[in-house]
Amino acid sequence: MKSKKVLSRRMTFILMLAPALILFIVFNTIPLITGTMYSFTNYKGYGSFEFVGLRNYIDLFSDTRVWNSYLFTFKYAIVGTLLVNVISLVLAMGLNSKIKMKNTLRGVYFLPNVLGGLVVGYIFSFIFTYIIPAVGSALNIGFLENSILASEEYAWIGVLVVGVWQSVAMNTIIYISGLQTIPGDIYEAGMIDGVTPWQKFRRLTLPMLMPFVTTNLVLSTKNMLMVFDQIMALTKGGPAQSTESISYLIYKNGMDGGQFGFQSANAVMFFVVIVAISIFQMVITNKKEEQL
Amino acid sequence: MRKGKVAISLVAAAAILTSTLLSGCSADSSQQGVTTVTMLQYKPEAVKAFEKIEKLFNDTHDDIQLKIESPNEAMTVLKTRLIREDYPDIVGIGGDMNYSNFLDADLFEDISDIEIIDTINPAYSKMEKELELIPKEGVYALPYAANAAGILYNKDMFESNGWEIPESWSEFISLCDKIKASGTNPLYLGYKDTWTCLAPWNALAVGLAPSDVCSNVNAGKTTFAAEYPEVAEKIKVLLDYAEPNPYAYSYNDACTAFARGQSAMYPIGSYAVPQILSVNPDMNIDSFTFPANENEEDNVLNSGIDLHFSVMKNTKNKEAVYEVLRFLFKDETVQIYLDDQGGIPCKQGDFELSKFLNGMEKYIREGRMSDYQDHHYPSEMSVDAMIQTYLMDKSDNAAELFLERFDKEWVRYNRDLIARVQKYEEEHK
Repeated sequence: MKSKKVLSRRMTFILMLAPALILFIVFNTIPLITGTMYSFTNYKGYGSFEFVGLRNYIDLFSDTRVWNSYLFTFKYAIVGTLLVNVISLVLAMGLNSKIKMKNTLRGVYFLPNVLGGLVVGYIFSFIFTYIIPAVGSALNIGFLENSILASEEYAWIGVLVVGVWQSVAMNTIIYISGLQTIPGDIYEAGMIDGVTPWQKFRRLTLPMLMPFVTTNLVLSTKNMLMVFDQIMALTKGGPAQSTESISYLIYKNGMDGGQFGFQSANAVMFFVVIVAISIFQMVITNKKEEQL
Repeated sequence: MRKGKVAISLVAAAAILTSTLLSGCSADSSQQGVTTVTMLQYKPEAVKAFEKIEKLFNDTHDDIQLKIESPNEAMTVLKTRLIREDYPDIVGIGGDMNYSNFLDADLFEDISDIEIIDTINPAYSKMEKELELIPKEGVYALPYAANAAGILYNKDMFESNGWEIPESWSEFISLCDKIKASGTNPLYLGYKDTWTCLAPWNALAVGLAPSDVCSNVNAGKTTFAAEYPEVAEKIKVLLDYAEPNPYAYSYNDACTAFARGQSAMYPIGSYAVPQILSVNPDMNIDSFTFPANENEEDNVLNSGIDLHFSVMKNTKNKEAVYEVLRFLFKDETVQIYLDDQGGIPCKQGDFELSKFLNGMEKYIREGRMSDYQDHHYPSEMSVDAMIQTYLMDKSDNAAELFLERFDKEWVRYNRDLIARVQKYEEEHK
């Protein structure tokens, strides 16, 4: 009698898990495995193909375009993650304090996340190409007169501005929810001890917020590493291939060009890199988390 | 509430009814010995012309039913259908690298026994031959319509200023100087969209390099560093006559600027005309062949096959398919297409050409044309972005570096093909 009950209980859990598991396997695990399989071929995306062994992986290391895309992506992700987390933490503290129209403001600051990446990209593209240069030439500010997206050296900053502007929204919300979990009595205790505002932030808020910092760092690093929409809408990898991110290159040459096999190898490589970075980040930041 | 339910069930009933009726219909027609020929063509903008052609064909043929599909993103649709082995009978696609790859994958039927071949402009038949990665026996595509690239110019502006159409490179440069001195931009470039770099590149390359340069490189007979220096040098000169910082403006921006009279000329293909006219419907546009050489006789018009028809290998009713092809190549049918799409017919004959191609007509009649060189470049090599990189490179040896990179990357991206071509050359010495 009892074992039957346990069994049915277990069945329920399995049944609850099954749909998600099946979906995950069908749309994630199986494509991952087939992709890995294709990474050992010279498949074009159609027609016949041959197995070429490790050739694609060896080519990855000698391909300057792939190297440049990794360089760009990491430069973008590191600067982007730092900016996003600093800005969103500041915004979250502001939006969590006692100010007027708090809820409206929170809504407004969340708006960029609701808008689609492509839409935002096209709007910014227009701003960068026409509005800022017009302002620049009206006010005689030399470096604003040319569109930043047309500069080989600085186009990545243009992409970064849009990327950061958009991802700050989500991280701010996560930080606000984090700030709300910190019990007020800690601050009261601090007040009795007479902390300065900086000490309050450094010694009380930040340690208590650490789990959320971990989540945000991992999330935004991953988002920044996968940058795609903004590039599609703003630069298409240009000028002079200076803003080709890894995802963009995989899509462009794997789908559009006939490099399905080679770019599958690139994707497998990228997957390994992202997993490694995520694990590294979790290990480092987990050590800094305080438990009450 | 109840009303809504009734409505829904009515709609559902109607849907079921019509679907059974429709399926009944198609079953009937196949029983009466009517052969169905399906065709997939890749130009969604030509859907009106093809609907008209489809109707005309079906009205005059009782035993064959023609079905033309014109989906958006036809290449993707076609590729997925190929994977599912759900082949149409005829495909209408462009003469580019996709076609070369399909042909190389042995998807098309040899149609050298259809008599239409003799009516095709030999310049286009030659282009078809050059699209074969490995030379093949037989004919696999019938070129239908082509487009051309060179320079589009603002006719009113030219007439009111008394500017002459240049016929040589030095005339072109002095014209540009003259236009620049008058305070107008001679050219407008939309180099933010990297593919537009290929328009002047191709137009220059057809005049300055042989048309089979890519297959010769594959066969190891020459290098790009030997064939392209002049093209590279001249495309860079154009920058002096364009708006400042052309890398900030896209194809759309450039079309709009040209339509609004912000430049006198625009180095692009005839395919840009509809876009320009959508901004300024009254604009008086004409075109001329890019004068890449000092001698007018050496200039060649850059024209490529925009649409050609191939028969899929495993079609069951070759006779019916041939009947469709014969109908498509009737003079009247070709004219229907031209009136709607305004391209260049690949069939010889007295067709009415679009007025935007006036300046190129002589070259078309004489057959002095050569295919877009980028139709032979693998798309994943991104030659367009390489050209953009080269144009932005201000160092003294930029051209050398660029051509060196061109040769190096060419070998890397075409490795499998080069191996096969050289094997073929060995066997056919």
